[in-house]
Amino acid sequence: MLKRTVALALGLSLGVSSAALAATWTGGDDLPTNPLACNGTPGKAEAKPYDGGVPTNAPDRKGKPIKVVDVPKLIGIGYFNATSKGIADAAKELGNVEAKTDGPTQANIDQQISFIDNYITSGVDGILFAANDPVAIAPVLKKALAAGINVVGYDANSQPDARQWFVNQAEFNGIAKALVDNMAKEVGEDASFAIVTSTFTTPNQARWISEMEAYQAKCHPNMKWLETVEAQEDNVLSFNQATTLINKHGDDLKGIFGMTSVATPASAEAVTQAGKCGKISVVGLATPNAMKPYVEKDCVKSVVLWNPVDLGYAALQVLRATADGDLKPGATSVKAGKLGDLQVINGSEILLGAPFTFTKDNIKDFDF
Amino acid sequence: MTATLRSLLRHETILAILLVLVLAALATQSDRFFTTANLLNQGRLMAEVGLVALVMTFVIVTGGIDLSVGSILGLTAILLGVFWHNLGLPLPVAMVLAIVAAGIGGLINGLIITRFKVPPLIATLATLALYRGLAEGISQARSVRGYPEWFFVLGQGEVLGVPTQLWILGALVVIAAVVLGLTTFGRATYATGANETGARFSGIGVDRTKLLIYTASGLVAGLAGVIFVSRVSTTRSDMGTGLELDVITAVVLGGTSIFGGRGTIIGTVLGLILMQALKNGLALSGVKGDGTIVVIGLVLILAIVASNLFSREGDG
Amino acid sequence: MMTASSPAVPRTAPAMRPMKRIAAYGQEFILLGAIVALFVVVSFVNPRFLGANNISNIFAGNAYIAVAAIGMSLVIISGHIDVAVGSLIGVLATISGTLAVNGYPIWLAWLVPVLVGIVVNAGVGALIAYLRIPSIVVTLGMLSILKGGLISVTAGAWITNLPADYLIAQFRLFGIPSPVWFMVILTALVAFWMRYSGFGRTIYAIGGNVEAARVAGIQVERSTVIVFAIHGAFAGIAAVLFATQLQVIQSTVPPNLELTVITASVVGGVSILGGTGTVIGSTLAAILFAAIASSLIFLNVSAYWLRSVQGLLILITVLADMARRRRLR
Repeated sequence: MLKRTVALALGLSLGVSSAALAATWTGGDDLPTNPLACNGTPGKAEAKPYDGGVPTNAPDRKGKPIKVVDVPKLIGIGYFNATSKGIADAAKELGNVEAKTDGPTQANIDQQISFIDNYITSGVDGILFAANDPVAIAPVLKKALAAGINVVGYDANSQPDARQWFVNQAEFNGIAKALVDNMAKEVGEDASFAIVTSTFTTPNQARWISEMEAYQAKCHPNMKWLETVEAQEDNVLSFNQATTLINKHGDDLKGIFGMTSVATPASAEAVTQAGKCGKISVVGLATPNAMKPYVEKDCVKSVVLWNPVDLGYAALQVLRATADGDLKPGATSVKAGKLGDLQVINGSEILLGAPFTFTKDNIKDFDF
Repeated sequence: MTATLRSLLRHETILAILLVLVLAALATQSDRFFTTANLLNQGRLMAEVGLVALVMTFVIVTGGIDLSVGSILGLTAILLGVFWHNLGLPLPVAMVLAIVAAGIGGLINGLIITRFKVPPLIATLATLALYRGLAEGISQARSVRGYPEWFFVLGQGEVLGVPTQLWILGALVVIAAVVLGLTTFGRATYATGANETGARFSGIGVDRTKLLIYTASGLVAGLAGVIFVSRVSTTRSDMGTGLELDVITAVVLGGTSIFGGRGTIIGTVLGLILMQALKNGLALSGVKGDGTIVVIGLVLILAIVASNLFSREGDG
Repeated sequence: MMTASSPAVPRTAPAMRPMKRIAAYGQEFILLGAIVALFVVVSFVNPRFLGANNISNIFAGNAYIAVAAIGMSLVIISGHIDVAVGSLIGVLATISGTLAVNGYPIWLAWLVPVLVGIVVNAGVGALIAYLRIPSIVVTLGMLSILKGGLISVTAGAWITNLPADYLIAQFRLFGIPSPVWFMVILTALVAFWMRYSGFGRTIYAIGGNVEAARVAGIQVERSTVIVFAIHGAFAGIAAVLFATQLQVIQSTVPPNLELTVITASVVGGVSILGGTGTVIGSTLAAILFAAIASSLIFLNVSAYWLRSVQGLLILITVLADMARRRRLR
C-alpha cells in the first residue's frame, strides 16, 4: 500500500510534469508587436486624434491650490519610491499642489481599486495612477472622471478613455530595442539568453517581452531564446531562479535579461555568487543605486531605465497643466517644468523620452 | 447550550457597541463618511469578501478552515473567460458552468478532508496552490475582456438604487442566518464543531455535513468570482489573492471560535462591517493604507481580548 | 514544578517498539525518498542537476525557511499556529540591515534581531497563554500590525551598501555555505533536545492533551510563552540568513513566506492538531520544496503550471502520509 502510494505519487507527478511541458513560452502577451528598425531609424509616429477621457463638469482649477493623490501599483518598492519622490519634488516646485502617495502593499487590482474609490469619495482634485491592470482599473477611473476629477496615468496605462493623459516613460519597442541591442553587443550575435521577469500577468513586462521577441527575430535572428522564469517582485526568489538558470544551462547561457528593478540586481548577484562575472552578461531594467556594486565591479555593463524620478515629476506637471486647462485635447506638446517641452504621442500619451542606458561612466551621477 | 448562547450574544453586543463607537468616531473625522452614496459603495466593495465569509462561518464552526477560497475565486474567473470566449458558450451558461466548477473545487476539498482525514488546514493549503496554479496554467496569463453590457449589471449596476451584489449578499445573509441558526443542518454544524466524536455517536452525518459545507464554500467563492469579474470587467489569474486572510479576519472578528462549535452569522456580518468601515473611514480621514492595516490588526486582537475578559467575568 | 517527567505525560518516541518507531519517522522517510527520487529522475534528464553548485544552491536557498520551520514546528506541536512569521522575518531582517549599515558592530546586527524576535513572540505567547486568545487570532492581528508598521516606517526603501563581513549567509566553511550549517546543526540540536529533554516532552504533552498536561503538573501557560519565545529566536536567525543572502534588503514583508514555512512544517509531518511530529521532517520538506522549484526549471515545466505542480506534490505527500498511517492502524 505504502509502495503503491509512493509509486502512484511519482507517476502522477511525472505525468503532470510531462503534460505541462510546453514547447515554447516566453512570457509575452499576444498583442501585435511593432519592432523598430534595426539601425535605429525612429518609427514613423502617426498623428492620432485625442482618445483620452474628459472629466464631467470639472470646476475651474486654474492656478488654484489642488489636492492630488498618487496611487501606484504598490508601495514599498524602490521604483515607486522614486516616482513618488519625483511627484513630491514637482509639488514643492509648483507650490500650489498638495500631493501624497498611498496604495496597496501588494500589486493587487482589487485593493488598488478600493484605494482610488476611497479617494474619490474623500474629494481630491486629481488622481495619478500606475495601473495593475489596464481594464480592471477603468471603471473606477471613469467614476473619477464623472466626479470631475482630473486623472493622469504614468508607468502603466489604463484604457485610454478612462483617463485624460498617460505619461509614457518610453515606448515598449524602444525599451525592447535598447535591451536586445545591448545584449547582442555584450554577448555576440549567436549567443543564448534567458529572462527573469516578475509575473506573466504584469502587462508592462509581458509587452516588453513580446516586443523583445519580435525585435530579436527581426534584427538579431541568430540569438537563441532559452526560457523565461517568473520570480514575483521578490529578491530572494529572483536570485534563486537566476541561479538555477545558470546551473541548468551551464556554459550555454551567455546572458540574462532582468525585466524588473528587483529581478535585475538579483540576477547580477546570482552571476556574481556563481563566479561567472564576465562570462554571463546581465542586461535589464533597474534603478541605479541597486546596480552600483555590480556595475562598479564590471559584472554588469549596461542598465536600461528611464529616470523614475523624472517620470513622477512629469506626471504631476502634466496633471497640473491639465487642471489649469493649459493641456487640452489636440495639443502636440506640454511644458513640464525643468524637463522642458514633452511631446504628445498616440493621441493622449506624453512621452518622457528615450530610455537611458546607465554605464560605469555615468551611474555615479544618479541617486535613486 | 443557553449559557454558550448567552456568551455568544455577549461577544456580538461588544462588537456592536464597538462598531457604533467606530462609526461615530469616523463620522466626526470626515463628513463624507456617513453618506448614503459612500455607504452603498462600501457595500459594493465588500460584497465578495462578505459572500465568502458567510460560508466560511459554517466552515469554521465545524472546526475547519478553507484557505483555498481566494484561489477558487481566481480559477472561476479564468474559467468564466475560457468557457465564454474560447469555447464560445453563451455567457449565462458559462457563468453557471464556472460556478459549478468552483463547487467541484470545494467538493474536492471536502472529499480530501472527509475521506482521507487530511486536516482542513493542510488540505486547503495544498489546493490553494493547486487551484491558483490551474488558473495560471489554463489562462497562460491571458485576460479575457469585452463582456456584453448586461453582464456588468451584476458588479457595477444597481437595482432600486442599491448595488446589485448587495441584494445578493443580503439574500445570502438571511439564508445563512436561518440555516445556521434555525435548522437541523445548523445544529449538526455546531455539534460537529463542538465535539465531532460525540456528534458521530449521536447519529449526525458529520462527513455529509462537512462535504456540503465545503462544496458550498466553493460555490459561493465561485459566485463571488463572477461578481468580481463583472465589477472589474476583465479576468486575471491573480484575482482573489489573499482573500482568505480578509475573510478569516472578518469571521474571527465576528466571534466565531477558531476551535469550532461557536459562532453566528450576525457576528460575521458585524465583523465585516467593522472591517470595511475601518478601511474606508480611516482612508477618508487621511490615514494611509499601511496605517489602516495596523489598526485592523490591533482591533482584531483587542476585540477578542475584550470579549474574552467580559465573558470570563460573566462566568464568575 | 517545571519538569515534565511526571508519569501522566504521554510517552513519546524513546519507548516505542521498532514498528512504531518507523511510524514515528515515516514522514521523514517518505520525504527523503521523494528528495532522492527527484534527484535521480531530474539528473537523468539533465545531469547538470547534480552539479556541485546546484546542489549547494538547493540546500542553501531554502535554509532560512528550514530554520524558521523549526520554530514553527515547535509552535504547531504545542497545539498552536503562527501566521505572522513571514512579517516578523521581514521586520527583523530590516532591523538587522539597518543596524549593519549604520555602523553598529556586526555582531550586534546579528544578535539584535534574535533578541527582538524573542521579546515580540514572548509577548504573543503571553497573549495566547494568559488571555486565552486563539493563536491564529493573535498572529493574524500581528501579521497586519507588523506588515503595515514596517511599510509605515521604512516606506519600503531598500537597504544597500551592506558591509561585506556582515553577509553571514555568504560565508562558507569547508566549502559548504553557512546557511546549510545553520540548518543542519540547528535541526539536529532541536531534534535531539525535543526527544530527550524534559521540556521537549512537555511541548508534546501540551500539544497532545492540554488538560492531561495540566493535571500532570506542567505549567502550560509558562511553557507556551517559552515555546513562542524559542520560535521568535529561530525567526531571528532565519531573518539574519534571509537578510544576508544578497547585497540588498528589500525591507518589505516577503510575500507568502508564512504559508511556505507552515507548509514545510505540516508536510514534514507535524500534525496540525498538535502533539506529534519532528523538526527533521520540516527541514527535509524545506529542502524538498527547493529541490522541486529547481527541478521544475530543469525539467522545462512551463512556469505557468509551476504552482499547480507544487500544490499537487504537497497533496500527494500528505495523502501518502495518511495512507501510511491508516496502514499502521
